[in-house]
Amino acid sequence: MVASGALLAVVLLAALGPLFWTVSPNQVNLAETLQPMSSAHPMGTDDLGRDVFARFLEGARLSLMVGAVVVLAGATIGGALGVVAGMSRQPVSGFLGWVINTLLSFPTLMLAMAVSVALGAGVFAGAAGLVLAAIPWYARVLRSEVLRIMSRPSVEAAVVAGAGSIRIARRNVIPHLMPTLLIQAASNFGAAILTLAALGFVGLGAQPPQAEWGSMITGGLQYALSGQWWIGVFPGLGLIVLVTATTVLADRARDILDPRGSYVRS
Amino acid sequence: MRSIASRVGWGVATLFGASVLAFLLMRVLPGDPARLAAGELASEEAVRARAADMGLDQPLPLQYLHFIRDFVTGDWGYAYSIGTPAREAILGRLPATVELAILAFVIGVSVGVSLALLAAYTRRRWVDVVIRGLSSLGMATPQFYMALILLLVLSQGLGLFPGPEGRLTPGLAEPPHRTGMFTVDALLAGQWTTASDAFAHLILPAVVLAMVPAAFLLRLLRSNLLETSREQYMLVLRAKGTPRARSYVRHAFPNAALPTITASGLLLAELLAGSILAEKVFGWPGVGSLVADSVLSKDFAIVQSFVFLSALIYVVVNTLIDVVYGLVDPRIRSASR
Repeated sequence: MVASGALLAVVLLAALGPLFWTVSPNQVNLAETLQPMSSAHPMGTDDLGRDVFARFLEGARLSLMVGAVVVLAGATIGGALGVVAGMSRQPVSGFLGWVINTLLSFPTLMLAMAVSVALGAGVFAGAAGLVLAAIPWYARVLRSEVLRIMSRPSVEAAVVAGAGSIRIARRNVIPHLMPTLLIQAASNFGAAILTLAALGFVGLGAQPPQAEWGSMITGGLQYALSGQWWIGVFPGLGLIVLVTATTVLADRARDILDPRGSYVRS
Repeated sequence: MRSIASRVGWGVATLFGASVLAFLLMRVLPGDPARLAAGELASEEAVRARAADMGLDQPLPLQYLHFIRDFVTGDWGYAYSIGTPAREAILGRLPATVELAILAFVIGVSVGVSLALLAAYTRRRWVDVVIRGLSSLGMATPQFYMALILLLVLSQGLGLFPGPEGRLTPGLAEPPHRTGMFTVDALLAGQWTTASDAFAHLILPAVVLAMVPAAFLLRLLRSNLLETSREQYMLVLRAKGTPRARSYVRHAFPNAALPTITASGLLLAELLAGSILAEKVFGWPGVGSLVADSVLSKDFAIVQSFVFLSALIYVVVNTLIDVVYGLVDPRIRSASR
């Protein structure tokens, strides 16, 4: 309950904030660099005099959008891969399983970094890297779920009745995948946001002057140790709140949708 | 026996796939490696000669075979951005990362397991809620942010720990090289001040790295313990007069621990495979920061060797865990007969 409220608050802030807080996130003001929090600047200013609160809102919007894109693309592609891998026969099934396993054996951040560098920095490249890193997770989870569903009597009956694979997929398999997909999507959302921030931290993903929480933390790092802590601390708090809210909601979703699952309420 | 062979076979196949992907990934990156190696001012001919020298003019499958052959014989390529062979560069930095990973693993497992036991055992609801909250927080906090906060509060604010200066206080001599891990080497040489200095520098990054494994293991073990505590035999134990604590520690825990052991193995593999973020913040000269810099400077020898190496570690650990699990769990053992 608290979690949904927090998530809603962040989304509303990101979407509607700029209507109320009209300060530009990229407005450089060298006369007012490194100012502490005040009524004019609720989160202070950074090393170029930009308003941190405005950048905070901008970063929130970016994280939410990238998270949504990564989840949608990852779920669609990874899900399709998983369904095909689960429903097809050997050797296709084995081959796809091998591809999925191979992708999974890569450290996630490395994969995202390599793709980002290949596509030339920037948010789009970062998002592409995140999608590629997310695909095998969806694929694996959905493949095992599909295999479980395929052994059900309802599928057997459909085969006996002469239904083709596509029809079976559409009617008997995919509707039952929704719970698993949603749970995976919820945890992927939080992970994607964190990895985007990590990319920003390393200098990939969003590029300056784009306001992104991860690169804001990097920028704030050097100033934190000399007293201007607000530059890096607030974006991090934003990340924590957003990801915690998403994780908690994901757990609740699993509670409701997956009664036989391993998550047990105390 | 057959299932062990098939698991190993599957591991080898995955390794092959990972090697192909690592090989291709670097070839796909923009930037001409021959140009990078020869230098900005080299002539076209020099660059072409360099390319031939590096074998870049040969067909891709042939290049791949050379890559594999070279890797296996110890030639991991030349790291042009640093000026040493890639193998030296990576192995030279490895002890620093291993030292960090081991301490992080120990901290993560101890904290995760003890908190999980506490959360499952306690009758007070608020204890469980707090612990669950800690776990969610641990998984939601970005590592580099945690590092920043710890540095701010503990190092700068309270002065308890050294700042991001790397492994030792600047000016302090390294201990004689035995394992490459400063704490161990200093202890072996009897240099107590060096050892404690190295340890003081090791603590903060290790805690930061331990955060996610601890949170993850905490959640996993807690839910497994709660499931196990509902089993019938737990009721029988209490009816027999076994104290509640003992029934948890001696009976519930060993049964609930198996997935936790599996997960710990994987987490250790992940820790070893690179702690890029923590290393960057603390200036820790480990493999993770080396690879991060190499990706940005497109030094493909290091990146592809490292990616292959970490896939190797991951696959080996995975397969070992699979095999051990199959041997240890009597249900699986008897099912495969």
